[in-house]
Amino acid sequence: MSAPKLMLDFNAMVAGQGGDGSLTVISILTELLARRGYHLFMSRNVASRIKGGLAAAMLRGSVVRRGCRGDHYDLLVAFDQEAIDRSGSEVADGGVVIYDASDGPLDRSALAETVRVFEVPFGRFAVRDLSRDLFKNSLSFGVISRLLGLEQDEAEACLRHTLSRLPERLIALNLTAFQRGLDFADEIGLHRGAGAWQVDKVEREPQILITGNDALAFGFMAAGGRFYAGYPITPATEILEFLQKHLPARGGVALQAEDELAAVNMALGAAMTGTRSMVGSSSPGYSLMQEGIVHAGSAEIPLVIVDSQRAGPSTGMPTKPEQSDIDMMIYGGNGEFPRIVLAPGGPRDCFELSALATNLAQRLQCPIIIALDQAIAQDSRTVAFFDLEELEADPGARLSADDLRARNTYGRYEVTDDGVSPWAVPGTPGGMNLITGNERNAWGLVSTDPKVRKTMADKRMRKVESIQHELPDGRRFGTAGADVGVLGIGMQLGVMSEAVERLADQGIAVEGLQPRTLWPVHGETLDFIASHSRVIVVEQNQEGQLRRLLMAAGADGAKLESARKYDGVPFRPAELVDQIIRGAGLTDNEPAMGSVA
Amino acid sequence: MTRTFDFTNTIWCAGCGHFGVRNALVAGLTRMEIPAHETMVLAGIGCSGTLQNNVRAYGYHALHGRVLPAALGVKLSNPDLTVVAAGGDGDGYAIGAGHLVHTFKRNPGIVYLLMNNAVYGLTKGQDSPTAEPMDRGAEESLDGIALGLALAGSSFLARGFSGAPGQLDRLILAALEHARSGRGFAFVEILSPCVTYNDTYAEWAGQVVDLNADPEYDRFDRSQAFARIHEVADAGGIATGLIYENRGTAMETRMYAGETASPANQPTEVASHLDDYRALMAQYAV
Repeated sequence: MSAPKLMLDFNAMVAGQGGDGSLTVISILTELLARRGYHLFMSRNVASRIKGGLAAAMLRGSVVRRGCRGDHYDLLVAFDQEAIDRSGSEVADGGVVIYDASDGPLDRSALAETVRVFEVPFGRFAVRDLSRDLFKNSLSFGVISRLLGLEQDEAEACLRHTLSRLPERLIALNLTAFQRGLDFADEIGLHRGAGAWQVDKVEREPQILITGNDALAFGFMAAGGRFYAGYPITPATEILEFLQKHLPARGGVALQAEDELAAVNMALGAAMTGTRSMVGSSSPGYSLMQEGIVHAGSAEIPLVIVDSQRAGPSTGMPTKPEQSDIDMMIYGGNGEFPRIVLAPGGPRDCFELSALATNLAQRLQCPIIIALDQAIAQDSRTVAFFDLEELEADPGARLSADDLRARNTYGRYEVTDDGVSPWAVPGTPGGMNLITGNERNAWGLVSTDPKVRKTMADKRMRKVESIQHELPDGRRFGTAGADVGVLGIGMQLGVMSEAVERLADQGIAVEGLQPRTLWPVHGETLDFIASHSRVIVVEQNQEGQLRRLLMAAGADGAKLESARKYDGVPFRPAELVDQIIRGAGLTDNEPAMGSVA
Repeated sequence: MTRTFDFTNTIWCAGCGHFGVRNALVAGLTRMEIPAHETMVLAGIGCSGTLQNNVRAYGYHALHGRVLPAALGVKLSNPDLTVVAAGGDGDGYAIGAGHLVHTFKRNPGIVYLLMNNAVYGLTKGQDSPTAEPMDRGAEESLDGIALGLALAGSSFLARGFSGAPGQLDRLILAALEHARSGRGFAFVEILSPCVTYNDTYAEWAGQVVDLNADPEYDRFDRSQAFARIHEVADAGGIATGLIYENRGTAMETRMYAGETASPANQPTEVASHLDDYRALMAQYAV
């Protein structure tokens, strides 16, 4: 037997019907790889239903930090044939499939020749020996632990840790199931020490494993956010859940509204009292909130809005990622008003940019929008602890009773150089004022006077001009000064950075940029395009909205290649490598598949 | 004294019922000696949506139909404020009807003055949800008091008439007391005629029946209230007065469990929560 292969980049998928407990097996593996010091990336693939439908959980453990799924799975644990039919082709050469043969033998036509298969009737064993189908997860982990060459102590510790919230009686039954898995491994010749793989033990700094949604909610709260309203919608619900769990104990409120219209208006009301406020939703819900977002822009009310984008149009594909609301976030709503759109590329960005957005809203008194996508929102990954000490709460131009006493006059919409009018919140003596979304004069009294109109419209737009130079720059990676560039936001960061690294290994120099300020288009983004002879714009939508945005901002369209996907499945690094090579004409003159140049 | 905004001439037509509402609100706020800076008046879209321009308070002009969610956001963020929401029958019974149902259900300490003139005046005379079916359209008219009675959370339901200023003063005063004493949502529908598109002063004056004039009427009895308003309607009248009331507990009181939570007045600096946040982050450690 050959020596076990050291797995420095291990990709596993557990798939079955929703409710099968795919997440349990992935959680146990997560615990194992975390103990061994690996970086983790987790993703789920579920149907939009409570139980049933193909559900899969994916885990990537690597000694180098990764921000996306790998190209292939080394291990596929499949609880039924449908999982094999859907995902079998994604198993790596020399990979392993563990198949629950309770309903009959495997049809392996979807699998490559080199894939090893272990057929085990986990479900049947679990029901027969332990009277419960769910124990099949611990049973299968018995077999997996042998494949990975684990000692029984460590494997059991991981299992115990994962199930620690269960009553001791159930933990004991799961340990019995695990032992039954080991026995079965012995029966099929998968003895102790005979595993195909081994997992390294590496040292790394302590980290946190967190989703973008949780990180974003945390950042808002840490920046003093104390009011959130939302309506349940995939994939933004976790923001509401996080804040419902954590805000009340810290003097805040997170409300489940009767609809998105109510949610955004509740937040407007809260924001007028000086409370730092945020609403979140996903694409169709964001589209309902637009009236309120426009109102925040017109009436000059500080508000943070999150769009956790999913595949559209309309109700679209609720559980699938897309970046097709770029136009809506930047151009959506009636009339013209100042707004800023920020785009995080991972949990750290989510934390930092939502804290920044919370401050920017106070400072500019206008809507600050955060563009998430389902992948950034719901995938979890290990990142360094967030820098809490760095956080500052910018109070903006707030007037106290003393400030007011020192003035002869106070109008809510006073015209200023930077467009920001100092404001007094209700409860402040002497500061009674009028807030309206109608055009108005400096006192907040409705006016359609042409001069007043122009003065007020100009004042509002000056707010963005005044802050432009302070907006967050992007993240650059790859070879500085390379001829070819690659550019994308959000979920594309992880894939782009890995693709660029692989290209460098092949001797192909590419530089990457993940803009974090989407609107107004950052000067750095345009400079990046200007300084490369070709730039591939990577995005998850049909029409190339990001590329179109860059062109409208003045980028040379002839330089911009387009790599697009809108099938609900994120790019894999190898796919992007291929697109970059072809798109940038590095090996031949074929245009990229989605080229619109 | 810092000069803020000056009252302007209202957009209301001479004789508009809304003058009576404004006068009764100002009288109530004055009588209760509520400081102007601790009062917020939020109004929707329509003729009624300009009320805040002529009340000395913090004022907000809400989106059409969204005055109640905005008022809820204000009240939950700073429960010390006296929050008055106002709007017309289109604002509250048509585009914002869903929010009205949920506001009854939540019972926050807000006064809501719904100025019912049974017509869309500002857009020049279209049918509103309270328009009489026989005169105008194929749809039945909507009774907000009956709606409120049907919802278990409701705690204060009154109907006044701009043509009966003494009663209106009493009702709005009682509404302010109800909302400010932590009992919850005080709903006052005011029959407020539109002299231009639906001048119903004389008609309504002949129809109103003040339930509180009957010493036998028990305004704490929800079933009796429901029966009486329908008896009055069946006889061609309109029930007015403080129709139903209970000693409810306001949403903010229930949410904050008696503590004086006020999100608007929480410290925003991270320093005040540093250890707390570190502990929360540690829960994600691997």
